[in-house]
Amino acid sequence: MAEGVPVRLRGVTKRFGTVVAVDSVDLDVPPGKLVTLLGPSGCGKTTTLRIVAGLERPTTGRVWIAEEDVTDLPAARRGVTMVFQSYALFPHLTVFENVAYGLRVQRLPAGEVRRRVQEVLDLVGLPETAQRYPAQLSGGQQQRVALARALVMQPRVLLFDEPLSNLDAKLRRRVRAEIRMLQQRLGITSLYVTHDQAEALALSDVVVVMNLGRVEQVGTPEAVYRRPRTRFVADFIGEANLLPATYRDGVVELAGYRFPIEQEEVPEGPVTLMVRPEAVLVAQDRLGLPGVVRTVFFMGMTTEVLVETPVGEVLATQPYRADRRPAPGQEVHLQFDAAGVYLLPGDGGR
Amino acid sequence: MARALAVPHVRWVAQPAVAGWAAATLLGASLLPWSRAGRELGLWLADSTGIALASRSTLAAAVLVLAAVGVLVGLWPGFERSRGVVLVGVGLAGLAASCLVVGLRGTPLGPGAVVAVGGFLILTGVGLSSSGLWFVDPFLSTVVLWAAAFVVLFILLPLASVVVASVWVQGRLTTEVVQRTLTSPAFLALNHPGTPRNEVTTALVAGSLLSVLAAAARWRLGGGRRSIPAGLALGGAGASLMVLYGGFGAFRNSVLLAVVVGGVSTGLGFLFALLSERSQLPTRRLLGPLSVLPIITPPFVLGIAMLYLFGRRGFVTHRLFGLSTDVFFGPVGVAVAQVLAYTPIAYLVLVGVVRALDASLEDAAQTLGASPGYLLRTVVWPLARPGVANAFLLVAIESLADFANPIVVGGGKPFLATEVFFAIVGRYNPHEAATYGAVLLGLTLTVFVLQRRWVGGAFYVTVTGRPTGARPQPLPRWLDWAASGVFVLWMLLVALLYGSVFVGAVTRLWGFDYSFTLRHLQDLHPQGWHVLRTTARLSAYAAVPSVVVGFLIGYLVTRVRFPGRQVLEFSSMLSFATPGTVMGIGYVLAFNQGPLLLTGTELVIVLAFVFRNMPVAIRAAMAALEQIDPALEEASTTLGAGAGTTLRRVVAPLARSALLSGLVFAFVRAMTAVSQVVFLITPQHNLATTQILSYLEYGSQGRGAALASVLTLLLVAVVVSLQAVSRRLDPRAAHVGAG
Repeated sequence: MAEGVPVRLRGVTKRFGTVVAVDSVDLDVPPGKLVTLLGPSGCGKTTTLRIVAGLERPTTGRVWIAEEDVTDLPAARRGVTMVFQSYALFPHLTVFENVAYGLRVQRLPAGEVRRRVQEVLDLVGLPETAQRYPAQLSGGQQQRVALARALVMQPRVLLFDEPLSNLDAKLRRRVRAEIRMLQQRLGITSLYVTHDQAEALALSDVVVVMNLGRVEQVGTPEAVYRRPRTRFVADFIGEANLLPATYRDGVVELAGYRFPIEQEEVPEGPVTLMVRPEAVLVAQDRLGLPGVVRTVFFMGMTTEVLVETPVGEVLATQPYRADRRPAPGQEVHLQFDAAGVYLLPGDGGR
Repeated sequence: MARALAVPHVRWVAQPAVAGWAAATLLGASLLPWSRAGRELGLWLADSTGIALASRSTLAAAVLVLAAVGVLVGLWPGFERSRGVVLVGVGLAGLAASCLVVGLRGTPLGPGAVVAVGGFLILTGVGLSSSGLWFVDPFLSTVVLWAAAFVVLFILLPLASVVVASVWVQGRLTTEVVQRTLTSPAFLALNHPGTPRNEVTTALVAGSLLSVLAAAARWRLGGGRRSIPAGLALGGAGASLMVLYGGFGAFRNSVLLAVVVGGVSTGLGFLFALLSERSQLPTRRLLGPLSVLPIITPPFVLGIAMLYLFGRRGFVTHRLFGLSTDVFFGPVGVAVAQVLAYTPIAYLVLVGVVRALDASLEDAAQTLGASPGYLLRTVVWPLARPGVANAFLLVAIESLADFANPIVVGGGKPFLATEVFFAIVGRYNPHEAATYGAVLLGLTLTVFVLQRRWVGGAFYVTVTGRPTGARPQPLPRWLDWAASGVFVLWMLLVALLYGSVFVGAVTRLWGFDYSFTLRHLQDLHPQGWHVLRTTARLSAYAAVPSVVVGFLIGYLVTRVRFPGRQVLEFSSMLSFATPGTVMGIGYVLAFNQGPLLLTGTELVIVLAFVFRNMPVAIRAAMAALEQIDPALEEASTTLGAGAGTTLRRVVAPLARSALLSGLVFAFVRAMTAVSQVVFLITPQHNLATTQILSYLEYGSQGRGAALASVLTLLLVAVVVSLQAVSRRLDPRAAHVGAG
């Protein structure tokens, strides 16, 4: 199977008229890794993907695949294939012909085409569907045919444009796991676009968080979750309480609640404290940030508690316990677990 | 391992395709003759091959050398971008040299020149693509260049020739002809010299009164400050119409006709659209066939029928009522014929509008307590208004451009479209014809631009593509019955008119002797049949290029971003808004001499058909492409397919039913074309429609009716079999749902 190749973007900007869709993006996809572009709709992630595919040409900036500048190379000759959000299966061709399409374009001998199509259909677990039309398949099967069609070309880079957004929640998890498994087994460099943070965290070697055409943060899933660099990243990935606080000599203080924190390179003075809801403990004792319970939502496995404090509302996620449920109006104290706490400088950027 | 994909790209390779195209160009340019001996397409000058010319002219030698350089550039394993730049240079230089050779020789073009120009266009296109100057597939860049060349040559050049011919008389620039034509009473006279009162003043006074009244009425209805300009505009329009109404001449006749026919057809069309979407009576089923009628009705059919039924010896007017009237022989008759012909057009536009009115909006308004009348005024009308304007303007263009009805039923009154014809055929004055043509073109273009600027984009407002589940409110009972009554009367009238033509085909002498005869049909032998065969043959030739060129342009315009895209779209749609007579005279003026001498050949008729019908194919292509997810084409591209392969293997199969109906309608439209070819026909290549016209001119109405009937039946057969075939071809029927 193909050795993974690196993908590199430098200063890539794309303007549509006066709208800047992608704003001087630098991006590195290490060989054989899966990198996710994560962001809300309109953040430029799909445009970035299409620039790598060659379906769009950047207004400025260059793109390298395997150390070769491909900025001017048309999509058809980049050795890059793509799995589309709508799957984009050819409705007038059978599954077999869909998968064989790219091989036939290369005019490979019929025997080789048959062998490779069968191989890849086995790989995605659809050996029996070759003679059916896409409309006769379920959504999950169509998705896998689309993946097979991209894989059969043995691409240097595999691109995914929100491939799971048309599947229901359960199926999404399963296909997500399959994609990850295949990608790791084949070692194909992959770039994956999604607006679903859970998908990004579950799949990626590296997550690239984008907003308003710019890269906000690059890091491993754990890094972007635990150490968000900006307010936007903190807020977009998972739930986050962002509270005004002050920091001095390794100690954070907010509304009288003081606790030590181990974090490097934090400027003294006003900071923004990020607390994940699962790191908030609603305590009955007198220690911690004082507050009054506003509302309590029963969520099944967990209970969400919204607490009004002097520094703003704080959301806390508690494991469900029938015997200990805070009630609205109750006075409580909140304690923060160090594992789910992170400081952002100043007002946290925006 | 996949060849093209897994191997890193070695970009120092030869490009054999380029070498191939350049070699073909070289071969064609050097071995094929560059000149014809005269009009005849097949008579070439043997001593005008590229090789023969090269010994006499440096330019011709340069053309061959450039083509040879193209071959070398293709074979040379060079860096791709630099090769692209060189190719662009070779292509453009070759193009310029070829055009100069052709221009300097001044003799009619031969195949060698065509190959040279086409070939260098390909080299330029491929060069633009591979140089990276233009980030687009080489196939598409070449197609863009070709399409641009076609549009310039066969749409813009003829139109420009018309405008130029009106002011360029006998080698000098003069506005003399324009002035003389525009001031002649045949064009426009506002004040009748024979009456004591001044019609213009009367009309202006009436118009001002009207504007004050309109402004006041709007004010009372709560229009506020905007009532004043609105009233003024309305009054101004009313005053100008009144001035026109009191006047005379072709301009007056055509404009008034367009306004009246536009208004009536739009009103009827809206009524029918309401019926087809919301009627509960069985008559609505007949509305489908109604919409196909104008497409397959040959020109003159309605005109003949009007004469048969309502003429001086008409069956209804004379036979039934004992009248001998000329009322329907003149603008009124033309208006009736046009309303009959163009209401289906308005209906087709408006049925989309009515369908797009979201029923849930009406439900919402009704739950808020709106009465049906209030609902109509505040919700339905504002949403439908752009569509209504669109229908009005489209019908106005058709009416202005119409040639067949005015010439048959017009009773000798001047109309702009017919004056173009008579200026050439009767008065042998191409400059006067050009002036009329330019005025007519100006009018239709104004309407066309209005239509696109004003309502072009605005009329899909509530089309979300998601069915809303809410069922439209049925019409109130009284309205349903009244509108259905109008529709039934309409159908009866249409049936009567068509019937009279079919009956007329087997009637000895309509108006005098109603006995049965087959003589008219027998008289079609040999001439009528021959003409019918020629027409079918030329229309068939034209159908395929119309669809191919139209489909490619439709594809470029919807899917490819390139500079000048809107210009290309606008100019190719121009021929849609250009009256046939104007295009016809443009072809006569542009292709009557020099290298582009084509008049008198079959080719020029085919070309006129192609560029007349192309907009239909463009629209069909755009509609079909809207149904195809662009991701399908992108998927094909990322799998390594070029644009040509993608078009052939993905787009064409998915659009094949649209392609087929485009093909058939291009054929049908060519069969029924008259105004654009009336100047281009020769005795050898007469066409069915023009033959009907000359039968009518020489008083053999029966024979005209016979030929018109045969033509109508033939076209009905073609369209019916198309519908049978395309139902089976519909890709959605075979494998439901696109990717």
